[in-house]
Parts: sequence; C-alpha cells; structure tokens
Amino acid sequence: MIDHIWTALVMLSSWNLMLTIAICSVYGLFVGAVPGLTATMAAALLVPFTFFMDPLPALVAIVTMEAMAIFAGDIPAALVRIPGTPSSAAYTDDSYELTKQGKAELVLGVDVITSAIGGLMGAVVLMTSAPLLAEVALKFTSFEYFWLAALGLSATVMIASTDPLKAGLALFVGLFFSCVGLDITLGYPRFTFGSTELLNGVDFIPAMIGLFGVSEILRNMGSSHLQYPITAVKAEKIFSGVAKTLWKYKRNMVRAGGIGVFIGILPGAGADIAAWIAYAASKRFSKEPELFGKGAIEPIVDAGTANNACLAGDWVPALVFGIPGDSITAIVIGVLFMKGLRPGPMIFEQQPELIYAVYISFIIANILMVPFGYLAIKVSGKLLKVPRNILMPAILMFCIVGSFAINNSFFDVGLMLAMGILGYFFENNGIPVAPIVLGMVLGPIVEQNFMVSMIKSEWDLTQFFTRPTAAILALLTILTWVAPFLPVIVRRLRGGNASA
Amino acid sequence: MKISDTVVGAGFLAAGALIIAGTMHYPPLDGGYPGPSLFPRILGGLMVAFGGLVGLKGLRTGDTTEEVEWLLLHKSTGFINAVFVLVGVAAYILFVERLGFLLMGALLLFVVMWRLKVPPLKALLVAVVFNTLVHFLFAKIMRVPLPLGLVWW
Repeated sequence: MIDHIWTALVMLSSWNLMLTIAICSVYGLFVGAVPGLTATMAAALLVPFTFFMDPLPALVAIVTMEAMAIFAGDIPAALVRIPGTPSSAAYTDDSYELTKQGKAELVLGVDVITSAIGGLMGAVVLMTSAPLLAEVALKFTSFEYFWLAALGLSATVMIASTDPLKAGLALFVGLFFSCVGLDITLGYPRFTFGSTELLNGVDFIPAMIGLFGVSEILRNMGSSHLQYPITAVKAEKIFSGVAKTLWKYKRNMVRAGGIGVFIGILPGAGADIAAWIAYAASKRFSKEPELFGKGAIEPIVDAGTANNACLAGDWVPALVFGIPGDSITAIVIGVLFMKGLRPGPMIFEQQPELIYAVYISFIIANILMVPFGYLAIKVSGKLLKVPRNILMPAILMFCIVGSFAINNSFFDVGLMLAMGILGYFFENNGIPVAPIVLGMVLGPIVEQNFMVSMIKSEWDLTQFFTRPTAAILALLTILTWVAPFLPVIVRRLRGGNASA
Repeated sequence: MKISDTVVGAGFLAAGALIIAGTMHYPPLDGGYPGPSLFPRILGGLMVAFGGLVGLKGLRTGDTTEEVEWLLLHKSTGFINAVFVLVGVAAYILFVERLGFLLMGALLLFVVMWRLKVPPLKALLVAVVFNTLVHFLFAKIMRVPLPLGLVWW
C-alpha cells in the first residue's frame, strides 16, 4: 500500500497536475459562487477538456472542481440569500440572517472550515471503505449487480426526490435513452429511426451538456440583468471566532460528516440531499431548535460539513461498483469509460495508483480549500458582479463547442440542444433532471445484468433471490419502495385494531 | 413554461404507449423468450402507470395551472430570450459549415448578447475576442476540427 501511495504522490507532483488542480480550483470556486451555475453543469462542461487529458488529470480536475464549487455555493447564500449551488440551499436562510446581523465573516469562516473538514472526513471514509468493498464486489455476479443497480434506481426515485412520481418519470426517460441503439442480446437496432448516429446510443456527454448546461442558460435568460445588493466582507476577519464555534459543535460535525458520507455512498443521492438531512438531524437534536431558520450557526456547521463529506462518499459506489452516487459521479463514470477504464472492483487490482491518486487528490483539494476559499471570499463582491448577460452567451459557446468536440459531429450539437429544451421543460414543471442522468448510466447495467442472469439461469426468476447477497440487496430494494408507506400502513393497522 | 400536471401526466402516458407500440415488431430470443423488446416494454408500462398517476393527482388536487399558459408566453422576456437562444443555436448548426466557426460563433454570441441588452459595440468586441479565444483553445491547442468555412485560420 505504501508503494501505491508513494507512486500516487509522485504522479500528483507533476507540474501539469498542479496546474490542473489550480485551474480547476478557480473554476470550481467561480461556478459555485455565481448563482445559477451548478457543480453538475461545471462537471459536464469539463468533460470535453478531459477528453484530451490522461485519466488521472481528468479525475483530479473533477474532484477539485466539485469540492471547491460545493463550498463556494455558500458565499452567495450568505451574502445575497441565493444559494450558489443546490447543496447550500438548506442553510441559506440562517446564513443570510446572520449576515444581516453583521456576522457575515463568521458565517463564511465556518462555511470554509466545515467544508474542508467535511471533505477530509469523506476522503478518509473513501480511502478505508472503498478497498474493502472492492474485495466484496469481486464476488458479485450479474444477479448482485442487477440488484445493486436496481437499488440505485429505487433510491433515486424514493429518497433523492421530493416528488417520487415525477422523479420516476424522469428516471424512465433516462432509462429509455439508454435503450436507444443496438440491443445487447441480438444487436437489434432500437428506436434509432434509421439514424446511423443513434446506432451507438444517445451519446452521454452532449446529453449531459444539454441537460445541465443549455437548460441552465435557458432558465437564466429571464434574469440576465439581475444585480445583487452585496454585503461587504472583511476577508481577513473570517477565521476569527471559528475555532470556538466549531469546538462547541464538534459532536454535530462528527454526526453530520457521518450522515454526509452515508448519503453519498447511497447510490443516487447527492450533496443537496445530505445537507437537508443533516439540517433536519441538527434541528432534531439541537438545544435551540427554535432558532433554526432565523440565524442559527448550528445548522450551518452541520449541513456545511455534510454536503462536502458527501462528495467523497459519492465516489465509493462509482469506483467500486460502477454505480453513480450522484449526477457528478455519473459523469465521472462516463469519463472513465471514455478513457477505456471500466469502474468496478478490478480497477483496484489493475490501477491501484490511479485510485490512490484520486484519494490523495480529495485530501489536497480539501486542504487547498482554505486558502483558495479565503481568496474567493476576498473577491466575492466582484464574483457576484459578473455580468450575466455576457456570462451566459459565453457558457453557451462552450456548450456548443464542447458537444461538437467529442465526436466532431453536428448531430451531437443538435442532441445537446434537444436535451437542453427537455431539461428546461422538465425543471419548469417540477420534474428533476438528475434522475435522467442516473437512468442513462444505470440503464445498461440493469438491462445487461438482468438479461445475462435470465439467459444463464434459463429464465428462472427465483435465482435472483436465492444467493445470499442478492437476496439482501433485493430486500433493501423492496424496502426502499415500501418504507415511505410503512407509517401509513402501521397507522391504519393500529386504527383498525382500535376500532375492532 | 409551466404546464398543468394533468397535461404532463397525459403526455407521459401517451409517450409510454408509443414506446410499447414501437417494440411490437422486435424479434424474440430463441425459444420465444422476450429479447430486445423486454426492457422498453417494461419502461413503457411504468411510464404509462406513473404518467397516469401524475395526471390523476393533477385532476384530484384541482390543479389551477392553465393547461398551457400560451397567452402569457409572449409577455415573458425570459421565454422569448430562451427561444432566441434556441433559434440561434439551430441557425449555427445549419450555417456553421458554410460560414465557419469564427464567423458563425461570433455572430451567435453577438446576437444573443445584443438580445440580452449588452451595448452593441461592447457585444461585438466581446463576441469577436471571446470567440477567437475559444477557437484558439479548441482548434489550435486541442486540435478539434472546427469548421473553417469562409475564414481560413
């Protein structure tokens, strides 16, 4: 292991990787700090660049960017009451109320330190749990992989969304896209409508850029002249009083870190969900729950730790099983395939240096978050003044060229545009877009493992439940669907017994 | 562009039915077992079920959203700007091979910025400079064959 760590460190110490980390830190901070731009969009726009990189810089670029972006989302939340990314939404009201009370420096100081600590906690869990899980995963067959992917799909619908019906519809759309092209059993073309471009399926990258980039631009078209009333921040004072606050809430941080990592490991749920659940847990166990939403620092500590802890957790199922933890790791899986690497337990055997380098890059990104975060807070006033009527067309150009660059095809630019319209329409009607991505990634895993299992068991469905691990995963999947209805069923049963 | 849940649900219901109908001619596996059609049919069925439930929920809650707020759309600056962007990208796809990236990209940037009320001279300057930078980054450094069209650089 020491050898692998040393090799990984040598790989990471090259000048081009250092430069990649620095550029992606600035990119992530910018995207996070500008309201309306999300970390997922930033990851989708990074993909065309990663196409021309080696696997390690490509992965390090995404790790650094997402860590910085999730923290930077806290800056506009505190200063103008608009979360920079959805992951900061849970504690936006508390942050802004404290800013109005003249405590913006404390809020931002707590934000940056809890983000770094949360991120480091996540990195430790990733480093310790992923290799162990990879050994378990080596024993998995198509039956277990089918159930694992089914669990991911179920969690996407039932846990990661406020409206399971609409999340389900989005997921089915993603799964449908994954059906387009030659099928795996007979090589029969499905839903290609005579197009040769569609024989290989709906290309993941233009679809991502459309769903997260173009749709975001279209949504921002109505608010391109928005000017924010910005609170001036004395950046040199942001660390004053932070240590005392964090010491007071040290147990909260441990709990929130645990929640964040757990939600991350759960396939399908991302940093925004982790923040909301950590916020709810914080309120449940707080001595002052009545202050929540009115300017309490406690939920900022909790949710701010959880959303960054979640990021490394999201990489656990992505690296170990090839099942994305959230929409960004869905993109990561796409990047790995693009680089000829198949995520799964074998990557731990074949490319251990790469995996260790990813672990270490999480640690580096979270340590660098403190100085880079300080600088971002220092220039926050300027970041929030970036003219959106120039920024949005510029991003549009990157979307167009990025989509084209993957296959040098205008069909992909058209696909990006169509996906942009779809994403715009979905978001405007309360249908989440992230399940489409997860459906596109998980669809082939579910179908391939199901068909392989059925063919090798000669269409004996009981085989899906007779292997111990498969049975446990099946039970978990079924529980995911049934759990939300359990309280209602229990209440009805009790009501029935009482009336009897 | 908000549409009532009833209409959204009905749309998905119809889409699910179309998916199932589209698989009717798919060949089965040896022994008559379902092959390429199995997954799309399951998906189509789920889409019909979930679409139906969303539609029913919309009906039951007395969804007050207009079926489609068409009459208000022409007043929405955001919507008109969005349409502008879409038409602009479509025009880019159609003409970029003939005119080249340097010209068509700058034109698209200028038109969208102008629509978003950036002063014309500033929009022109930003469009030309930024588009040239993008061209340099992708075409010269990353070797992406962006269409040359009329401008041979």
